[in-house]
Amino acid sequence: MDGASGTSGGPSRRRFLEAAAAAGIIGVAGCNTPGSDGTATETSTATPAAESSEQIGSGRSPFGDRTVSGVSMSEMPDLSGELTLYSGRGEALVGELISYIEDLYPDLTVRPLYNNAAELVSQLETEGQNSPGDVFYSVNAGALGALENRGRTQSLPQDVLEFVPQNFRADSGAWIGTSGRARSVPYNTDVLSASDVPTDIMSFPDESAFEDGFGWAPTYSSFQAFITAMRLLEGESATREWLTGMQELGASQYGDEFQVARAVADGEISAGLTNHYYIQRVLARRGLSAPVRTAFTQNDAGAIFNVAGACVLDTAADTTLAANFVRHLLSAEAQDYFARTTFEYPLVPAVEPIGRLPTIDELNPPEEIDLSQLSDLEATIDLLRETGVL
Amino acid sequence: MATEHQRTADGDTDDDASPPLGVSIAAAAVAAGVLLPVLWLFRTGLSVGLTESLALLTRPTTLQVFVNSAVLVVLSTAACVLIGVPLAYLTVRTDIPFRRFWTVMVSLPLVIPSYVGAFAFVSAFGPQGGFQRLLAPLGVAKIPEIYGLQGSVLILTLYTYPYVYITARASLKSMDTTLIDAARTLEHDRWETFRRVTLPQIRPAVAAGALLSGLYVLADFGTPSIMRYDVFTRVIFVEFGSFGRDTAILLSLQLVAVTVFILWLEARVRGEERTTAGGRSRATVSLGRWRYLAMGFAALIAGLALVVPVAILLSWVGTGSASVNQSLAFQWSYVSNSVLVAAAAAAVAVVAGLPVAYLSARYDGILPATFERISYVGYAVPGVVLGLALVYFGSQYATPIYQTLYLLVFAYVIRFLPQSVGSLRASFLSVDPSLPEAARTLGQTSAGAFRHVTLPLVAPGLFGGAALVFLTTMKELPATLLLRPSGFTTLVTHIWTAYESGYFGQAAIPALVLLFVSGLSMLVILRQEGYDVK
Repeated sequence: MDGASGTSGGPSRRRFLEAAAAAGIIGVAGCNTPGSDGTATETSTATPAAESSEQIGSGRSPFGDRTVSGVSMSEMPDLSGELTLYSGRGEALVGELISYIEDLYPDLTVRPLYNNAAELVSQLETEGQNSPGDVFYSVNAGALGALENRGRTQSLPQDVLEFVPQNFRADSGAWIGTSGRARSVPYNTDVLSASDVPTDIMSFPDESAFEDGFGWAPTYSSFQAFITAMRLLEGESATREWLTGMQELGASQYGDEFQVARAVADGEISAGLTNHYYIQRVLARRGLSAPVRTAFTQNDAGAIFNVAGACVLDTAADTTLAANFVRHLLSAEAQDYFARTTFEYPLVPAVEPIGRLPTIDELNPPEEIDLSQLSDLEATIDLLRETGVL
Repeated sequence: MATEHQRTADGDTDDDASPPLGVSIAAAAVAAGVLLPVLWLFRTGLSVGLTESLALLTRPTTLQVFVNSAVLVVLSTAACVLIGVPLAYLTVRTDIPFRRFWTVMVSLPLVIPSYVGAFAFVSAFGPQGGFQRLLAPLGVAKIPEIYGLQGSVLILTLYTYPYVYITARASLKSMDTTLIDAARTLEHDRWETFRRVTLPQIRPAVAAGALLSGLYVLADFGTPSIMRYDVFTRVIFVEFGSFGRDTAILLSLQLVAVTVFILWLEARVRGEERTTAGGRSRATVSLGRWRYLAMGFAALIAGLALVVPVAILLSWVGTGSASVNQSLAFQWSYVSNSVLVAAAAAAVAVVAGLPVAYLSARYDGILPATFERISYVGYAVPGVVLGLALVYFGSQYATPIYQTLYLLVFAYVIRFLPQSVGSLRASFLSVDPSLPEAARTLGQTSAGAFRHVTLPLVAPGLFGGAALVFLTTMKELPATLLLRPSGFTTLVTHIWTAYESGYFGQAAIPALVLLFVSGLSMLVILRQEGYDVK
């Protein structure tokens, strides 16, 4: 390998690599070892094809055993100074990546504040112009859009925005997606087969196989984004009918979508609605023998593809540092990290997803939906309340 | 009877007609400290606009949610009393084996975050849960539904009865047992003695504990959400989740209104509550053979509340996520961080609670009562709402202490002040005013009489209050997340980090450490009571 990404080989870096490799072998952080959890496909192990491709910027992943393409952190501007990061993404998922970036640069101090994304939006709103925040890192486009609507973002430089395709970032340049999550249908393989799951989300209420065995998490942000998409695609009354129909089927409520995925694997319900990576996490924990698999609907609200992403806050003390920090989240290393640790879709096209997943191009999200439209939750909440779902 | 304290014609019970100025000013300052953040809630909540507010408040689901909340609060509180009072009696007044051990064990459920408890119970007792799978070979096809009202009541009772337990215990400890001896000589049997002598004496303390339990249940987010039971806080949670901060705050004002109503109701029904303690004897009731049954009861409650979550968390330790991620590696600094802020909060809350409790226990009138009731307001709003109020004050007016431990401890004190006030007040009520008066006639200044006579008598209440604040601060999450300095991790934020990302196994170790450290701290606090727990 050309070792392009193997830049600073300091002691902290090495310790980090070892830890990351250990995590990979145990097969929890990255499920790249088919024997341990079985969720990996050939894309996850370092394939000869990938190794022979001599793309600029390709190199060994610091987080596991594969070669990744894209722009390495070593080719990005150095970071120095102090940065306050409001992170709506959990420390367990991204903490390692943040310390990795911090360890690369001796003059960089990152002050991360971890909390739920919506609560951080409330916090930023309450702090107003006195906020110490520089960068906001979110689990979904909704929270980023909410901040943009409140005028709390600054445009990112064009060369940062160009890392990802246009549909994964705000048209205004206010925020950018850093990793992707597809809506999906987990189903229990003891009860259903893949062909039992309709490919059209709107026909779910007519599906007798789901009766008294369907789970959803209506308080969860991604579910609400999905209903928002349905409202925009199918109209208010069709969405109301769909919600009523699902209730008549006896859909059970869960606190979040990880609980839904677990309940499907437990056989408590036969199918549900979750983001794709929850199913991957259940499989990584329980092994391939867990009777849960993923189905996707086609070209409808059930197939929307949302992103986790970041923006530079209007209160950022050093805008250049903040923007360059966001740039690092789009590096080959970071993109590989997301695929490996959180089972998400890398958004930089050069980096492949990991796990038993179709590639991003094989998914069929609805083309008419723009991610920034998904932050318009008000009418969705009203609808969910009217129908008694919330 | 010593329980009958004569009130003078103008309603004052102390020889001074009006409360001492210094104490009043101190109590007023504490009340102002609590009200300040709440004022911001009113300003923000009322900015929503009349039309939208009315629409929200008259939504058809509002009544349903109100009824659900009320039912949950009433049932949970009643259950807390039914569990907390007998446990307090057993561990203070009887010869139950391993008394000190059980005292600590039955207090500990207070440190388990109720969402962790709820999650564990769903995993254990839910449909297809571990318990069901265990019973399936025995032919048990279905166990009672855990979701809904019954599950919520179960969880909230198991994790909030210690409020009743600890306050009732403090009151029993400072109770004058010579009265019981007297009643026994009058040929009352034990039950009759308990009902006619002990119960009236501990009633203010039980009421204080029940109030703390009830208000906690009202403001709890996690349990109803996991148990799928629709209450006020769930509606607020939905609003926060969809970026409706102002609407969420307006809705939490509804909670404040309900709280004010409960406080008013409680003040109305608690009635004559002055009891007096004089000499204490250490005589305990011998349970005979029943002592093992009593121990079984304590073990059952502590077992359910502590063993189920720990066992569930531990069962995930071996599920392969053992070396996930450096961010989840346990560090001992989390323990010292937790203990540091909890001890600071407990100390400050007791000091701040003293003037408020003393004034309201010893003086009648509008102001002492108002200060005492105000101290409950911060407790009534969900932690995230109070946290945001302090985010506002910290970032706008107190930038130097924003995102420092000072503001964090201040937040804890505002949240948990009523726990020290309630416990202290019940103790002050049981001090016979003639005792400090006697000290005054012997030449003590009023401060001296307070220090040498009153304070030792209220020590159980003081340390009971400190224990309550300490234990609840150990598990506080929402305000901690909003106000902690960057990089400041406590045991509970660490548990949350693991839980939230689905690394349940990683939550087991810090949860066990949390229990162990809290248990040790409880022992230290109990020792400070000045006499043996026996």
